[in-house]
Amino acid sequence: MSLAEKIKVLIVDDQVTSRLLLSDALTQLGFKQITAAGDGEQGMKIMNEQPHHLVISDFNMPKMDGLGLLHAVRSNPATKKAAFIILTAQGDRALVQKAAQLGANNVLAKPFTIEKMKAAIEAVFGALK
Amino acid sequence: MNDAAAAKRVHIIQGEYKVVTDPDVVLSTILGSCVAACLRDPVAGVGGMNHFLLPGSAGAMTSGGDATRYGVHLMELLINGLLKKGARRDRLEAKIFGGAKTIASFSNVGEQNAAFATQFLRDEGIPIVGSSTGGEHGRKLEFWPISGRARQYPLTGAETQKTVALEQRPVVPPKPIETSIEFF
Repeated sequence: MSLAEKIKVLIVDDQVTSRLLLSDALTQLGFKQITAAGDGEQGMKIMNEQPHHLVISDFNMPKMDGLGLLHAVRSNPATKKAAFIILTAQGDRALVQKAAQLGANNVLAKPFTIEKMKAAIEAVFGALK
Repeated sequence: MNDAAAAKRVHIIQGEYKVVTDPDVVLSTILGSCVAACLRDPVAGVGGMNHFLLPGSAGAMTSGGDATRYGVHLMELLINGLLKKGARRDRLEAKIFGGAKTIASFSNVGEQNAAFATQFLRDEGIPIVGSSTGGEHGRKLEFWPISGRARQYPLTGAETQKTVALEQRPVVPPKPIETSIEFF
């Protein structure tokens, strides 16, 4: 079993198309355990029910945004160790700084390439294969 | 001429998007094989338009390809812009225009662009309330984002050729300020 197959990933994005693209990219990287949520609230509900090892979340979402979800994940002892990558369509320094303060592992600007996503995940978990 | 004179005209070029809340603004653009998606929330009184040409061939249009990611990005920027100005995703409605057949290239880029926009909006559950895509002629498009009114004029054959030639120039997809930021 490869490392990628063991990692449970939670995708959080309000756009169906973005979730599909990300899910496709992760499948290509060898991930098998992928769950998806449409906003931060739903994402946190899933994390509370079953903590995932890696959360890849969009920033701009209704209800609870990516930073809100990051804060919630880091505040709960059961989920705080999860790796957290934030995706953003509008990359700006203030967001990156805030994300770093709240304990994000990485911030990736959209549109990202599969290679960039792989590098971001491997920076946390080590080589996937 | 009356409404044209009163209106504040904002022209949108390829790779751009605009979101407005001013009912006097008319968004305009010129489309060859490019596609413009016009979105609005009729309740919040906010609307906008983007204008894109997906780079690459049919092969690049498959799921996960660079072209798809670029198109999704431009749609997302427009939708995020609308949501920031008070629109709600479940109230959005769309009109799509453009995607004329290009004589210059073998593959029908225009058709692929229109198909991408249609598929994207369908996947996102945003109803398409009007569209005019394909055909042999380019379009000059005007869109009033608050009322949702759209008007288009067909370009002549020569104008279409010229527009398509301009569109086909290599365009570097707009890069976000920070492409990847690592902090450890």
